[in-house]
Amino acid sequence: MAHRTVEYAVSRSPEMGVTGEPAHAPLFPVDMPEPPLSSEHMLINLGPQHPATHGVLRLVCELDGETVLRVIPHIGYLHSSFEKLGEYRTWNQVVTLTDRMDYLSPLIYNCAYVMAVEKLAGIEVTERCKVFRVILMEMERIFSHLLWLGTTAIDVGAFTPFLYAFQEREKIYKLHEKYTGARITTSATRVGGMMADIPDGWIDELKAFVAEVPRTIDEIDLLLTTNGIHLGRTQNVGMISGEDALNHGLTGPNLRASGVPYDLRKDNPYYDYETYDFDVPIGEHGDCYDRYLVRMEEMRQSVRILLQAIERLPGGAMDVADPHVTLPSKTDCMNDMESMIHHFKLIMEGLKVRAGDCYFPVEGSKGELGMYLVSDGGGKPVRWRIRPPSFVNLSVIAKLAQGHLVSDLIMINASLDIVLGEIDR
Amino acid sequence: MGLNEGRLPGGGVTSRPGGLPLVGAGGPTFLTTKVDFVVNWARRNSLWPMPFGTACCAIEMMAAAASDFDVARFGMERMSFSPRQADVLICAGRVPYKLAPVLRRIWDQMPQPKWCVSMGACASSGGVFDAYSMVQGIDTIVPVDVYVPGCPPRPEALLYGLLMIQEKIREESLARHGEHRAEDPLRAGTPEATEEEVAGLTGPFGNSTRQNRVGGLVRTDRPDRPDDRQP
Amino acid sequence: MTEREPALARDSALDAVEAGPSAVSGAPVRLDEASASHPSVDALRARFGDAVRHHEVSAGDQHVVYVDAARNREILGWLRDDRAAHYDLLADVTAVDFGAGRPLQVVYQLWSMRHRRALRVKCELPLSHLVIDSVEPLWKTADWLEREVYDLFGVKFSGHPDLRRILMPENYAEGHPLRKDFPLRGRFSRAEQTRRALSQDPHDHYIPAELEIGRDPQAAPGAPRQHPEPPAKRPSTNRPLTRGK
Ligand code: SF4
Repeated sequence: MAHRTVEYAVSRSPEMGVTGEPAHAPLFPVDMPEPPLSSEHMLINLGPQHPATHGVLRLVCELDGETVLRVIPHIGYLHSSFEKLGEYRTWNQVVTLTDRMDYLSPLIYNCAYVMAVEKLAGIEVTERCKVFRVILMEMERIFSHLLWLGTTAIDVGAFTPFLYAFQEREKIYKLHEKYTGARITTSATRVGGMMADIPDGWIDELKAFVAEVPRTIDEIDLLLTTNGIHLGRTQNVGMISGEDALNHGLTGPNLRASGVPYDLRKDNPYYDYETYDFDVPIGEHGDCYDRYLVRMEEMRQSVRILLQAIERLPGGAMDVADPHVTLPSKTDCMNDMESMIHHFKLIMEGLKVRAGDCYFPVEGSKGELGMYLVSDGGGKPVRWRIRPPSFVNLSVIAKLAQGHLVSDLIMINASLDIVLGEIDR
Repeated sequence: MGLNEGRLPGGGVTSRPGGLPLVGAGGPTFLTTKVDFVVNWARRNSLWPMPFGTACCAIEMMAAAASDFDVARFGMERMSFSPRQADVLICAGRVPYKLAPVLRRIWDQMPQPKWCVSMGACASSGGVFDAYSMVQGIDTIVPVDVYVPGCPPRPEALLYGLLMIQEKIREESLARHGEHRAEDPLRAGTPEATEEEVAGLTGPFGNSTRQNRVGGLVRTDRPDRPDDRQP
Repeated sequence: MTEREPALARDSALDAVEAGPSAVSGAPVRLDEASASHPSVDALRARFGDAVRHHEVSAGDQHVVYVDAARNREILGWLRDDRAAHYDLLADVTAVDFGAGRPLQVVYQLWSMRHRRALRVKCELPLSHLVIDSVEPLWKTADWLEREVYDLFGVKFSGHPDLRRILMPENYAEGHPLRKDFPLRGRFSRAEQTRRALSQDPHDHYIPAELEIGRDPQAAPGAPRQHPEPPAKRPSTNRPLTRGK
């Protein structure tokens, strides 16, 4: 039986009871064997509606006191049958579903999906479109990491970073709105191009945002990075080694925090990412703190990419000039028969994508976001599959949380940066 | 006559058959209207919302609570994550059938008086998700007071919806308490709508029916399409 | 296509673990050029012969290899461990149903960190016999991904430690939704779906392993659990869907 030392502080002026005796027995340090208490393991159900699970995630925990012995995650509380719905929509109509899946970085999903379709159909988009999509995707990485930062900070008891982060997010919301008309559900991409060209003044607003966001990141950095409470809550919590992380299929910042420098923008580049000058931050310990640091640094790197992309944004057409792929302009439709027919066929039947299958991974804000498409040569996908980064990332939580306290479980869950819309699809 | 049975036209109850109405339980009197005014004023301006946020709409709900829109201006800054201390259930986002019992239980756990806002197309009608796993409108599960349309509704729209709840509270009267607060405890955990209502509310409509018709038009190499793609 | 500069080539993706934190800077690396042959497929052919059924290039440069479903674990294990192949990341496991009685495909999406190369491995299963070996012992990633395929397609993965539904409720009775013969809106009427959803017993939300928690730790291992009443015996609380009044 384990011995434990129990130390009590001895009160110098003990409180006196009515009889003049000390109200409490004098306290002294004792060294005694732990009493043979029979302890029962507890079953704690966290969620599915719980403010700290970041969505409708349900964790059933087996606890010994406050120590987590086992976590059994239950998901599917937000299963909205995206993949089935995609089989009933034309290739372009699916775009509207993609941003409802990951509502924290909708534009990355929009882009990833159409990039996969373009790959399958063999369409090469214009240079302007490529650079613009890079801009959008990097902007969304900041957008998503900011939300992660704000909500995670709340989980460790810091409310201010949430307000700071949301102030910056409001600016991105405005940018979304100015370009697409919607704040979250952007649906900005089309196969072969974008929904519209960049509106006037949009780039200037983006520049203003890019100039300001590092300041906010620095401010939050100041609040959290060396904050004792934050360090205590995140360091050495939820550690995972590089090998294990790879075996569990972690990707994105979670994998890089464990020291594996796998970033699709470098390893399997698309849209000329290899020509942008940016670094991929990696961590050393693979704990919550390293995940935090990696994401903080990624935001700064995204700012770097944004600056370069804004510089090189070329003029010219946004959409490919193929009437079988992109819609003709309204004026053309009204004036010439051929455009009218193309318009009709594209709307009614959708564009045709050659038969075959295609897996196209991009570096999403949460990890490797792969779109797997199967076409039979028709106007709709036979199968639309999303390789969900946070689904795979979340599956490791049972391993990470073992032996930690319940409060650490909350931190671990937050540090994985999950979004339930995409986990459950 | 109603009075003889101890019931007033407004639904209030008298102390004994044919007797004088109790304070706050009879028809509108000077006293009850003043009490109503004070009670409603207090209720209206200190609503505690229970955020039942599931999907994209929840992000807009967070935006409504954050700096720019600041729902605290209307006395709702205290988001109550525990249903037992909440007044308004804001259901923001999609509700699949797997989540439906959770939503119903949270509603049952909330004490009266309580109101419900259905935020977004998904919560109100299923939205684009007319598929096997989704509840087609939470009004089949719980009673809804205000529907906020949009996908997602802007934070201003949510604020407007919450102000409509405040309007609704302003109209309430203690005299009609039974009417406002009618909920049969036996019905806890059961769907709000009857079978016929569910069937009427959830039939395929609009885009969902057209989807299938377009499906019939598409020519592909596949020898035969599966049945459920036909109109 | 030029080879990568040696300075940027990494022997193993895990080297950085020893090297400590650093920032990897500009590494312009592209996928192998699209070509008719894929080194790993050739190696697979040489080693496994007939078990490699078919090889095709899809979407321009993506290599797909169809292998014998009965030997999937062996082949994938070799692909993971062989130094020349070294596909250490199992990116995805999914399935495709083409409908019309065609065989269902189980798709493994592999990525090699060392060689920066992708390979898609497919196994075809007849609809009458949807059983395949689990690769969970090779990659822990497969745990949830295979559960999802089981849930949505009904493919049974033998050797999986915990094969149960993951997205749909445990007691979902309408089948496997992503199969082509499954109607978009489900098999039951909306009213029935609503009734079923709300009439679940609270115990339905827990798996048996969870209901076991709370037993007496002093009890001998394997001793019968001291539950006052086994949860399975609970009366059903299914209530009819009619108004209470
Ligand atoms: S209504 Fe739109 S924004 Fe809201 S949850 Fe549904 S899909 Fe998301």
